[in-house]
Amino acid sequence: MKTDYITFRSITPAQQAQRILRQAGVDTILQRTPRHMEQQGCGYCLRIRPQDRSRAVSLLQQSGIQFRKLYTEDQGLQEVLL
Amino acid sequence: MIYLDNAATSFHKPAEVPQAMLRAMGRCANPGRGGYPAAMEAAETVFTCREMAGKFFHCSPEQVVFTSNCTHGLNMAIFTLVKPGGKVLISGFEHNAVTRPLHALNAQLLVAGRRLFDWEDTLTQFEEGLKKGAEVAVFTHVSNVFGYILPVEQMAALCRQYRVPFVVDAAQSAGTQDIDFAALGADFMAMPGHKGLLGPQGTGILLCGRMPKPLLYGGTGSQSMLQQMPDFLPDGGEAGTVNVPGIAGLWAGMRYVNRVGLPQIRQREQRQLSRCVVGLKKLGYRVFDGPHQAAVVSFVPSVDCQDLADRFSGQGIAVRAGLHCAPLAHESAGTLETGTVRVSFGHDCSDRQTAFFLQKAEVLR
Repeated sequence: MKTDYITFRSITPAQQAQRILRQAGVDTILQRTPRHMEQQGCGYCLRIRPQDRSRAVSLLQQSGIQFRKLYTEDQGLQEVLL
Repeated sequence: MIYLDNAATSFHKPAEVPQAMLRAMGRCANPGRGGYPAAMEAAETVFTCREMAGKFFHCSPEQVVFTSNCTHGLNMAIFTLVKPGGKVLISGFEHNAVTRPLHALNAQLLVAGRRLFDWEDTLTQFEEGLKKGAEVAVFTHVSNVFGYILPVEQMAALCRQYRVPFVVDAAQSAGTQDIDFAALGADFMAMPGHKGLLGPQGTGILLCGRMPKPLLYGGTGSQSMLQQMPDFLPDGGEAGTVNVPGIAGLWAGMRYVNRVGLPQIRQREQRQLSRCVVGLKKLGYRVFDGPHQAAVVSFVPSVDCQDLADRFSGQGIAVRAGLHCAPLAHESAGTLETGTVRVSFGHDCSDRQTAFFLQKAEVLR
């Protein structure tokens, strides 16, 4: 199943982002960032549906919540350049 | 026991505070580290409190750094802003939690405003201190000895005007006075969780308008490949595991204050303050009262302060005697030699308790 990952440098901004997206009706799952997506080691990410991607990114940018990267996973993992 | 030492710590916590702590102890692992349910529940508990504190004090959740007490937060703030030997402006009513770290830094102190309950004096002297080249200002919102509410909004405005970074000690005001961190524009504001916010001992908050230098270095659950502490909030100020049960209790305490309402709590405390001041004066005690006074009052009896506090204790009344860790405030008020007996009211104070205290104050004097 296709999934997008928005990665954060620590749990607090990930939680803030989750609150904002939840209020806007975007479903998310908060989890540890898989190691291969986090070069600095230890971090958290939000899993979202790819169809929510542009809305989620827009909402976070409007809110000033800093995220690190956006990845999409289907048969392989790819970074989505914004 | 009739507890009248809320300036030291609030003692009669709402029942939901220990309940929240127990729940956290049974359900929460380490926040911001693991990804399993107990770790995530811990993270949710901590973030919920961070979020509530942000709303309470008008800042964003990541500006809320959890500390072990107010002193911890003040040390972080002072060691961030003050250079060794630097010139620092303080009020005449500071606690040792401010003056001892400054002493350790060998700071040159400019003490501004020695007159109790006198905003004009405080502001005039404070501005003089800024003109004398203070590099940093550190001041309390409410004197822990006398309950004097300093004009912090105006002091903050002066600091902004003179472009001097500043720290506010909200030990006595958090949970009793209205505080808008964003409007003040403070670099830091430190507060305990266990006083007006009704959380447990061992909790505190440092509100950060800028990145603090850490006092502790260690794991944060973020950027683990790097040996430097994270340069972002709140992680840079929170090395090691935070006090999750304590934070859960602090959240419950703040929720209680929100539910009851700060104005209602303040009104209740002010009523008892007025009754106490009038009653003590009638009995002939030397009472320190005035305008701009929070629900803390000091008085000097004709007998030794500690002896009188012990006698109150024997009657089931808890008050504090001595210097209250604030010799500078006593020096300002002229009570350094005697100390004072301090009565401080909390959210559950009542007419009946104050009447009983005054009845004993008459008998024991």
